[in-house]
Amino acid sequence: MKKRGYGIANMWYGIGNTANHNPSGAFVDILDDGTAIVLTGCADIGQGSTTVLAQIAAETLGINIEDVVVVAADTEVTPDAGATSASRQTYVSGNAVRLAAKNAREQVLAKASEELNIQAERLSIYQGQIWVGDNPSGVMIKEIITQCRSEGVLTLGHGSFDPVTTKLDSETGQGIPYATYAFATQVAEVEVDTETGIVEVKKIVAAHDVGKAINPQNVEGQIEGGCSMGIGYALLEEVVVKDGEIQGPGMSTYLIPTAMDVSEVYPIIIEEYEASGPYGAKGVGEPALVPTAAAIANAVADALGIRMYELPLTPERIIATIKRK
Amino acid sequence: MPDYSTIGKSIQRIDGIDKVLGKSQYIADIDLPGTLCLKVLRSDVAHALVKKIDVSEVERIPGVVRIFTHVDIPGINGYGIIVKDQPALTDKVRFKGDAIALVAAENEEIAKRALKLIKVDFEKLPPIYDVWTALKEDAPAIHSRGNILTVSKIKKGDAEAVLNQAEVVVSRSYTTQRVEHCYIETEGGVAYIENGILVIKVSTQNPHYDRRDVARVLGLPMNKVRVIQATTGGGFGGKLDISVQCFLGLAAIKLGRPVRMVYDRQESFVATGKRHPFFIDYTTAANKEGKLLAVKVKIVGDTGAYASYGPATLVRAAVHATGPYEVLNVDIDALCVYTNNPISGAMRGFGTPQMAFACESQMDLLAEALGISPVEMRRRNILQQGSITATGQKMNKSVGIGKTLEAAWEKALQVMPGLGDERR
Repeated sequence: MKKRGYGIANMWYGIGNTANHNPSGAFVDILDDGTAIVLTGCADIGQGSTTVLAQIAAETLGINIEDVVVVAADTEVTPDAGATSASRQTYVSGNAVRLAAKNAREQVLAKASEELNIQAERLSIYQGQIWVGDNPSGVMIKEIITQCRSEGVLTLGHGSFDPVTTKLDSETGQGIPYATYAFATQVAEVEVDTETGIVEVKKIVAAHDVGKAINPQNVEGQIEGGCSMGIGYALLEEVVVKDGEIQGPGMSTYLIPTAMDVSEVYPIIIEEYEASGPYGAKGVGEPALVPTAAAIANAVADALGIRMYELPLTPERIIATIKRK
Repeated sequence: MPDYSTIGKSIQRIDGIDKVLGKSQYIADIDLPGTLCLKVLRSDVAHALVKKIDVSEVERIPGVVRIFTHVDIPGINGYGIIVKDQPALTDKVRFKGDAIALVAAENEEIAKRALKLIKVDFEKLPPIYDVWTALKEDAPAIHSRGNILTVSKIKKGDAEAVLNQAEVVVSRSYTTQRVEHCYIETEGGVAYIENGILVIKVSTQNPHYDRRDVARVLGLPMNKVRVIQATTGGGFGGKLDISVQCFLGLAAIKLGRPVRMVYDRQESFVATGKRHPFFIDYTTAANKEGKLLAVKVKIVGDTGAYASYGPATLVRAAVHATGPYEVLNVDIDALCVYTNNPISGAMRGFGTPQMAFACESQMDLLAEALGISPVEMRRRNILQQGSITATGQKMNKSVGIGKTLEAAWEKALQVMPGLGDERR
């Protein structure tokens, strides 16, 4: 018999290393033609940090994203930006890039202020042009850079950011482990075959508070990928170790979800602005996965009326649990 | 001023086109002329002293360039992001997969043949395959510091007293499994010397850390080690640690030739960190209205033979153990324990998916015991502006759990017709 079930799970996730310093640094060089190079140690491992950091640099410098090149993760060239870990790169390295870009922008605006004879505080840069209050000035950033160069001035910015945390007391654990947290709620719908023990995840709704989503499609991609990984964690994946030896170390016996196993995922982005984040951003990399297995386990318990306390919920375990009942 | 020009916009991924077209150069695509192939001899025993390594037969094979062992490490033979307890090439084996010797050969076939001919004499030590044995007082010590690597404690209020008097108490034990990251691209790298600088191109999440530990192990100044991240096909935490970096660096500086090393899937499984298996005892107390009063949690994590990110995983598990709920009385202990099992390290979530499984199961069990719906049970306990967490942190900034809960529930009601209403 096939039984439907529904489960809900919440999660929170501290952004950055726990109760430890984890600074990131960045350099920004605005070139003669108004394009820019960003140097950052931040390793893009497929999650999209290079794109997100380019967006942050472009926005802060007031130039087009096409005019930004990010050089990343080369220790002889780029400053340390810590690990791509702890869902920290958008928040921590994003802030470093924002501060480096701001530092370079301020030099441009100082020169523009001189040239236009208007207070720097009233000036900004948007799409390569200097703006005065709400109006374009007609003066392009490139012209200001040219003026800087004619005076022997380079427009180099640097920035670094370290999340504000404290140590945790060794006996009580009291302290500030993280500067900010991401939050999420996922709801899973499953169908359990009580004869075979196979669980099919039908749908997952995944609402994630990521702060400001710098790149919404990228956030959705992370959420969908996380849910897929969570399905594997809940139902399929287990590295079996016998007498210290991994049994069947290969993809033929170690099952991970394929397109056949992944449900429809409905990502919802909640943007609870984080004042200390770059443009209000927090993070999403790990949170995407964190509540999925919990939601699926609750859905399976709802379907069967029996709860299991050991992951993964393999067909063998499900059948054994049904039989015990 | 107009709105943001790029923030909040779904800009196409900068690396997207090259990846889709197959133009991105991953390590396995990099072909340097004259490159030597490196392979590691890994232990098939779990706990032993290496008494002798006999390479006499191997060195006679044409095409074998050099065999390295622990005696060839020029710097400090121990690396690790948190605790420097893992030798690059070991003289004491602590798991089935520990690296004993490194072969440099003209090609992969010769390197593989060489591995089979290296003879190692072991003095076997009693192996420990589970955390409970490791925790016994008379258990053999896997590392000189003992088998308990770290204990993370979070204590607030008086959980014990509340548990004894509460109207509803739910107590359960949960276990979670060891998991492999299974990134599409396995670990790999190339290394060469350029202008007197050791260059290591590697699939990594952590280039600046890599530089630190490569310099340490090879006894080089940090500015003479250049780590360049190659296009990386996934990490999920598994590429935060040293894998091939020290091997590549050692062979490149000793031989002066470009070297290359790419793990096959089996080696990727055996040699690198996994998600920690957790053993969790979780007790929760609530009042009749469904308000959480206390949680008491004991977590034991099997970190295997080396620390890797184990301490960070267990402390994060402890900090997040209550879930995103306000609980006034908290008593949490999280132990990170060495065994002779494969290494557990960082994996997406650092212990929190394990804790979510336990904590969210508890929430449903409490809801059931109290006759409250699961969603309402959560509503009554989620962190709000001004809430105090288990570590005493005041939530006074971006706290979106109330919004995610309502948004997810509203959407679920739309797309899951069988869900019915809250009280189904």
